[in-house]
Amino acid sequence: MRFSEPFEQRFQEMASHYPTRRSLLVPTLLYAQDEVGFLSDEVVAEIARRVELTELEVRNVISYYSMLTTQPRGKYNVQVCTNIACLLMGGEEILDRCRLKLGIREKETTPDGLFSLEEVECMGACCWAPAVQVNYDFHEHLTPQKMDQILDQYTKKGTERRR
Amino acid sequence: MVSAGIGWALATSVVRYTSCKMSFLKGIAAIAKGMSITFREMFQPTQVENYPDGPGPLRGAKFQERYRGVHVLQRDENGLEKCVACFLCAAACPANCIYIEAAENTSAHRVSGAERYARVYNIDYNRCIFCAYCVEACPTDAITHGHGFEIAAFNATNLIFRKEQLLAAKPGHLGANAVFNQVEVAGGAALPVPGS
Amino acid sequence: MADVNLTIDGKKVTAPAGTLLIEAAKSAGIEVPSFCYYPNLSLQGACRMCLVKIEKMPKLQTACTTVISEGMMVTTDSDEVRQARKGMIELLLGNHPLDCPVCDAGGECELQDMTFSYGAAESRFIDVKNHRDEQQWSPVVYFDRPRCILCYRCVRVCGEGMDVWALGVQHRGVSSTIVPNQEDHLECEECGMCIDICPVGALTSGAYRYKTRPWEMKHVGTTCTHCADGCKTTLGVRRCSTGTELVRGDNRDKSGINGDFLCIKGRYGFDFAHHEDRLHQPLIRRNGRLTPCTWEEAFQLTGERLRQIRDREGGDAIAVIGSTRTTNEENYLLQKFARTVLGTNHIDHHRTADYPALVAALAGHPKLTASMRELFEAPAMLLIGNDPTRQHPLLAWQIRNNVRLHRARLYLVNAQPIKLRRQASSFFAIPAGREAEVAAFLAGQDSAVAAIASETSPEAWIRWRDQLRREPKLVVMFGSEIRGDAVASLIKFAADLPEAKLICLGDYANSRGAADMGLYPDLLPGYHPVTEVGEFHKDWGGVPEKPGLSLRQMAEHAQAGKLKALYVVGANPVEELGLDPFVFSQSFVVVEDLFLTETAAIADVVLPAANAYEKSGTFTNTCGDLQLVKKAGEVTGTKSDFEIIVRIADAMGVAVRKLVPFGRGSRADMGQSRGAQSGEADRHSVWLEARGLEPKMSPFDPMAILDEIQRLVPGYDVSRLHLLAGMDQHTSLSGSGPGTKHDPSAIMPARDDLFSSGTLGRYCRTLNAVLENGHKLAAEEEVAAE
Repeated sequence: MRFSEPFEQRFQEMASHYPTRRSLLVPTLLYAQDEVGFLSDEVVAEIARRVELTELEVRNVISYYSMLTTQPRGKYNVQVCTNIACLLMGGEEILDRCRLKLGIREKETTPDGLFSLEEVECMGACCWAPAVQVNYDFHEHLTPQKMDQILDQYTKKGTERRR
Repeated sequence: MVSAGIGWALATSVVRYTSCKMSFLKGIAAIAKGMSITFREMFQPTQVENYPDGPGPLRGAKFQERYRGVHVLQRDENGLEKCVACFLCAAACPANCIYIEAAENTSAHRVSGAERYARVYNIDYNRCIFCAYCVEACPTDAITHGHGFEIAAFNATNLIFRKEQLLAAKPGHLGANAVFNQVEVAGGAALPVPGS
Repeated sequence: MADVNLTIDGKKVTAPAGTLLIEAAKSAGIEVPSFCYYPNLSLQGACRMCLVKIEKMPKLQTACTTVISEGMMVTTDSDEVRQARKGMIELLLGNHPLDCPVCDAGGECELQDMTFSYGAAESRFIDVKNHRDEQQWSPVVYFDRPRCILCYRCVRVCGEGMDVWALGVQHRGVSSTIVPNQEDHLECEECGMCIDICPVGALTSGAYRYKTRPWEMKHVGTTCTHCADGCKTTLGVRRCSTGTELVRGDNRDKSGINGDFLCIKGRYGFDFAHHEDRLHQPLIRRNGRLTPCTWEEAFQLTGERLRQIRDREGGDAIAVIGSTRTTNEENYLLQKFARTVLGTNHIDHHRTADYPALVAALAGHPKLTASMRELFEAPAMLLIGNDPTRQHPLLAWQIRNNVRLHRARLYLVNAQPIKLRRQASSFFAIPAGREAEVAAFLAGQDSAVAAIASETSPEAWIRWRDQLRREPKLVVMFGSEIRGDAVASLIKFAADLPEAKLICLGDYANSRGAADMGLYPDLLPGYHPVTEVGEFHKDWGGVPEKPGLSLRQMAEHAQAGKLKALYVVGANPVEELGLDPFVFSQSFVVVEDLFLTETAAIADVVLPAANAYEKSGTFTNTCGDLQLVKKAGEVTGTKSDFEIIVRIADAMGVAVRKLVPFGRGSRADMGQSRGAQSGEADRHSVWLEARGLEPKMSPFDPMAILDEIQRLVPGYDVSRLHLLAGMDQHTSLSGSGPGTKHDPSAIMPARDDLFSSGTLGRYCRTLNAVLENGHKLAAEEEVAAE
């Protein structure tokens, strides 16, 4: 299992920050997920070896955090907040819109592998509710129409890149 | 004491008879009154039980519902045994007359509704005092007292009843589709249950 | 540490600083309930059952995570506290199925007990419970998820205690669940600690599953019959249609040297007693075939033949092989029988450690042996050779937990990268077979370093030795790799240290006992040479003074046609030592065993023996800790080895009273039964012993010969009261005879693993099931890989 050069650099740097190897686990998992897309068995085994834990312990941590996944996700992970502020401002409608537009339910991925949909808890964007996070990008003050546009943009971006 | 009292009563009545002739008629009336009760009762239906010459499977024996006879191990609505071999009856038994061996149900051999069942369930009627503590202890209402009482035996070993002797008959409404063990379905009728 | 004063429920309590409140309360006799707290495991604070009121603190506090402080005023039982605990139980029962009647833990379930004491049996929840099907994780571990109350005891004991880390917790909050390391099954040491520690019936044992209920069994605390560590195992015995049945083994009696611990063999390795191949009647060879006969016939024939051979050919034509699994009393009796009745010194056993060399080297250094308990307290430990995790599970447990809880230093020298290196403060790898050089190097022979310094530089070795020499208190453990002169070197090293103690590791349950009791051709009990005229000659009225033959020499003797009779008690030399069975074709062979083993198959008379769980006596573990073996079960048609030896002696026309000095009790008390009815210590026998009333009325009573052992064998004069009360006592080797130097090649390690146990292990259904399951999984993995 090989990771990219920036990952390795970051890993080396982090290793010097923490008193014990196991403290590296969560950030390493996040970086690895960003790079590979999800935490495959191979990734889990490699990280367990690096941080000197058993694979079981690594899996325990992965299962604890909802942003870590062992299942492949779409290229763009659409995370819709439905906590109180967003709920009041129409978060549910945004979620419904996404379902309709993408034709999938939560925790599913579109057949073309472009989108996956997730209903998440508060992302700290209450002032700009309703909010949606696509990968690491925020989209605020949404309406179903705006949501359509955003999804279209991503579709365009995704398919262009592919070409 | 009683005979002395009767003797005294007779003596006084003889004195009365001799002293008053009209009392003779009174005496006849009294006897007629008494006998009228006797004659009336002669034509009433019999109140005495006619056991063992009566009709029916119980041969004339009749019981109160609460009568505590030989135990019956009940079945649930699917015909499975209710007993899950929890041993609570054996623990509650003051005479220590219940012996159980438990075993695990499998999908191929399902005897009770829960995970386990009583492979062996013996009650030693040499020791049982019919106190119904077992019935009270049973968490699944599996063991109850039936009305069986004809358990006299010439040999004490015959008084140890096995599970097969204690089990209730399968519910009549269950046909061949009921959830039974294949063996039992193939075997046909349930074993006779004593006393019921 | 300084003491702290506090008040718990109005009681003044003093405890060392740093003590947890829950422990301080316990020491004052006040029980604070808890699920997640477990002594010697890390703190969890998950169950909230131990909530107590501490004055000046606004809310209730968890007693299991609160450290005591000066002047603390604690209330452990008030309406507020009870209400809180009751609420906790109601929540725990929110999804806990009420299937107590079928649950294996019913009757010994902590949740059940708590529900009873806090009266939270009625729930206000009306939701349907979330059901999940039961899972089988291994042949011995079942998991019922809805029953789990998430106390994480199993996860911690598996990781911290066993260092296996096979259990984990996945997901979070209410959806947390205990998971095994291999998705749907466990890959572990199958010790069953998780099952035993589970406060509810979430983890249940495959061997005990649905067999009976806790109150239906009689619980007998005895000593395990497998490895040489001498764990106390409490056997649950139940009456059954064929007599008595051993249903389970566990460590509910935490008083033993093993405390909480038991490995797979102690916990499940009793089922050989009910194996279908068990012999139930004696066999005599007629027309070349072993045919069943009566005990009388068998004793008559054996006694007559042995007497004839002794009278015609002399004792030199008879040899005896003893066992490493029979009790001290039986071993002592056997060698006494061989020496005084058969008139031979040809007696030996399967040697797995060089105890005579240890004794020889210890001469002049008394009290240099460590007990199993001392090991747990030692600040530093040195282990040369052996792999305790596999061969001595209790020893490994003690080492691991000593390192974890007391921060002890562990120095390891091994040819293999053994698992204990994870606890070691230093691990030195050496080439295989060079353990003796390590001992020589430690003793100061610097030239030996060349042979061992393959992976580590000579300088590092010297620094290491200097460090060891500075250790104020060191326990040195060594396996069978260190024999003969190497033992002497090691003791030379140890004697120069400020305080060092030794543990010599043998392999079977009573290997040490067999050595102590003189199952050697040249050594009497207590390592006195046969040539030395002493106590035994006086007491027994003469012992043959010529040293006898060792096991190998016996075979040679037989080949030469000079061995006319061989008497084997509970040993299988044909299989385990690789003796050629055909060399004994001209000898009259008598074998006492549980099964028709390879050795029994060549016998002329086979006598079905009782195993260690079916008789009484004592075992000495490899450290020298003497413990009581108590009769738990009974199998029809067998006799204890003790009785068989006495009966054979009787058939030979010997005055049995000379062999077993029975009938010396001052007054017989025949009205009451022996053996504990309930509870752990045999209170009746303790009572009798305290008043000098122990009857010893029968020649088959091992206690009669224990008197003689305690009188004549040095180190065994321990308190009989403590022994009968089920306590372990260390028998130091001081006062022993001079020992001797044996041929090192006579030592044959058992090479047992976690799931094997010599010939006995082959008949353990559970051990075999675990092994087969392992093979099956390996095969599946191979297929998947392809």
